[in-house]
Amino acid sequence: MAELRTGGVAELLEISRAWLVDPVAGREGPGELIVRDGILQAVTWLEGAEAEGIGPDGVIVAPGLLDLHVHLREPGNEDAETIATGLAAAAHGGFTTVAAMPNTTPAADEPSVLARVAAAAAASGLPVELLLHGAVTVGRAGERLAALGELADAGAVGFSDDGAPVKTPVLLRNALLYLGPFGTPIFEHAEDPGLTAGAEAHEGVVSAILGLKGWPVAGEEAAVARDLAILAAVLPDARGARLHLTHLSTAPALDLVRRAKAAGLPVTCDVTPHHLAFTDEWVAGARRWAWEALDAAGAPRDPWADGALVARPYSTACRVNPPLRSADHAAAVLAALLDGTADAVVTDHAPHAQVDKEAEFGLAANGISGVETALSVLLAAVVAGKLPLRRAIEALTTGPAAVLGARAGRRGAARGLVEGAPADLVVVDAADRWTVTAEALASKGKNTPLLGRELPGRVLLTVANGRLAYRDAEAR
Amino acid sequence: MTAPVSPTQVSWHHRHVLDVDVLTAGEIDLVMRTTDAMHEVLARPIPKVPALRGKNVTIIFWEASTRTRVSFEVAAKNLSADVVNIAAGTSSVTKGESLVDTIRTVEALGADMIVMRHGTSGAPYLAAEVFSGHVLNGGDGWHAHPSQALLDLYTMRAHLGDLRGRKVVILGDILHSRVARSNIWTLTAAGADLWLCGPTTILRGFEAWAARWNAGRAAPGHGRFTVTSDVDAALRDADVVMALRLQRERMDAGLLPSLREYAARYGLTRERLALARPEALVMHPGPMNEGVEIAPDVAVLDRSVITEQVANGVAVRMALLFLLAGDRSEGGIGG
Repeated sequence: MAELRTGGVAELLEISRAWLVDPVAGREGPGELIVRDGILQAVTWLEGAEAEGIGPDGVIVAPGLLDLHVHLREPGNEDAETIATGLAAAAHGGFTTVAAMPNTTPAADEPSVLARVAAAAAASGLPVELLLHGAVTVGRAGERLAALGELADAGAVGFSDDGAPVKTPVLLRNALLYLGPFGTPIFEHAEDPGLTAGAEAHEGVVSAILGLKGWPVAGEEAAVARDLAILAAVLPDARGARLHLTHLSTAPALDLVRRAKAAGLPVTCDVTPHHLAFTDEWVAGARRWAWEALDAAGAPRDPWADGALVARPYSTACRVNPPLRSADHAAAVLAALLDGTADAVVTDHAPHAQVDKEAEFGLAANGISGVETALSVLLAAVVAGKLPLRRAIEALTTGPAAVLGARAGRRGAARGLVEGAPADLVVVDAADRWTVTAEALASKGKNTPLLGRELPGRVLLTVANGRLAYRDAEAR
Repeated sequence: MTAPVSPTQVSWHHRHVLDVDVLTAGEIDLVMRTTDAMHEVLARPIPKVPALRGKNVTIIFWEASTRTRVSFEVAAKNLSADVVNIAAGTSSVTKGESLVDTIRTVEALGADMIVMRHGTSGAPYLAAEVFSGHVLNGGDGWHAHPSQALLDLYTMRAHLGDLRGRKVVILGDILHSRVARSNIWTLTAAGADLWLCGPTTILRGFEAWAARWNAGRAAPGHGRFTVTSDVDAALRDADVVMALRLQRERMDAGLLPSLREYAARYGLTRERLALARPEALVMHPGPMNEGVEIAPDVAVLDRSVITEQVANGVAVRMALLFLLAGDRSEGGIGG
């Protein structure tokens, strides 16, 4: 592997005695694989004596991961991220496909913006595939529909005014109707701004103590209820209408989706690593995982009483929208992932320049730089016994691929570990830990509360479409 | 003339005073004892000691305030500090005018200590992260007002002694009050029977805080924390009643119907005060809206200690500046 260089064809790669996870085949276990000239030439599942000593706690090979929701900031905010740095960050995180949100400047509300972004991706020389979402409304201003059909023709995989919900219910209805024949989902940021104006943190005990304006659970629940009602109402006229609710963070909103799915509505949703593993007490200075922050009765523990406050309060790295929730909601997010209510895990990778985060908590930009830590955070949940490894990988591959359907492409996430196709996979050592530092992150956005923290799961290698996307400097 | 307490005798290990939640009962006692010593200084013919001679105390207020700013200024001057006053004005609390730049500038200009007031909760923690000296929080957003809570505690102790089991009522706009939040920590630590009372729209979130507190920490019989909109229940047999300022913006935000209705239902009148113990203390952090949250004839009762609060404020702030100057701790952002 010494001859491999990033962007080059993976000429010869032999991975022996690893734990293979192939959610497409519905299989995991000990195995080996060989990549030659970029093609996954052989996948061998080991059994009996050969398989002895190989477990999911060592080197894991999975299909290349797919992130439905990232912010790459180009065009318009290249101080925070560029397509090239964003794709490099994705590769470091094990992702071989990412879908960028359209809240750039200008917004991706017509095909020329998509073309510009696609050109930047091609120029980066990185083999990570960049999928693009189009805006629902012109300039994401919520007044007129964007060039939905032209954007779909230009390859948009979804539509969103993310950063904010579609401003008026009637425009959301019309966009769902119009896009029905295309079958492309609307990625809705579910927030009722009438309940969340000026909000700084999850409304609860922590926000009460810290004197931060609360973002109530009802702000998400009300928006989801409204959106589901609109979806149901358009179906008679638009059978192909698809609604995808992104970064859901609260128990009642996830319950509404659970019931809507049971009733057969064409709705999908995703959750983020930070909403399932971090909590609002992180804003106060705690850093324990969400599953460590619950007492025996399932209620959030009191970090002021039990010595859990270890970092300074009001770290703007913890400011994100929707906000980090209390541990009981984080548990509901995890439960939704486990029972399939949540179809995917997305990172909502939101890099920011230091100047936009080195500010008072209430004035700092929202968002966490997360594409490089997502896999490790999920592996922390796996290590803690809270999440089966296979489910974690599904949520980063087949789950998000199913949300996009045919537009997900034919990368590893959709195809799995199949012989004869271009290799598209991630190799991660679950037994090896790495420390999240500014230097270790390829993203320009260093805005993560995990900075300085040691995480399980070092990505050794990411191969995208037969080419090397990332290789750990210390990997053999 | 020497300092009333030698810095080497005290055990103070906080580089900053940003909130009272990190103070132990022993540390609060230390502040109280140091405040006693400062009162002795203030009783002298020349109420001045050289404890902070040659030290630059820079007072930066991003929010308008006369009372607290002047109190800090007098306190610093009584300790012989060089005082620099900066009125940052509210307009600078916008993106692009960086708090961090301001703090770095003030440091370059020679500040050893910063006393700051800011409209955003948590802002002093950011200042403390970039400033190499000491930061004293003079009030941040809705979050904390440590010197006010400590002077309130000092005032209550001066009259009531041990506060364990004493019923202390904070009446008014709890939601937006940094005074209330800081008093919650100091009064529950002191074992008081703490009651927060006001219309439910401006008590939002505190019921859950109280429930967690009562379930987790308070020893039986004292230190309970009760939240109610029932003003009569709150005032009944109270030992201390502290009214908070009600701002007109609360009506504009749709939280309350009118000042008139508020004054009628929650205003501290003689009639309502009759529910409390006969000797109950009347307090207010100021500035008062007389006729709204407190009736003019209540504010001037003998048992009203409102002007005493102001006088104690100088001594408490002297104590805090003095303790910070003697701090030998390494780093420690949280404290």
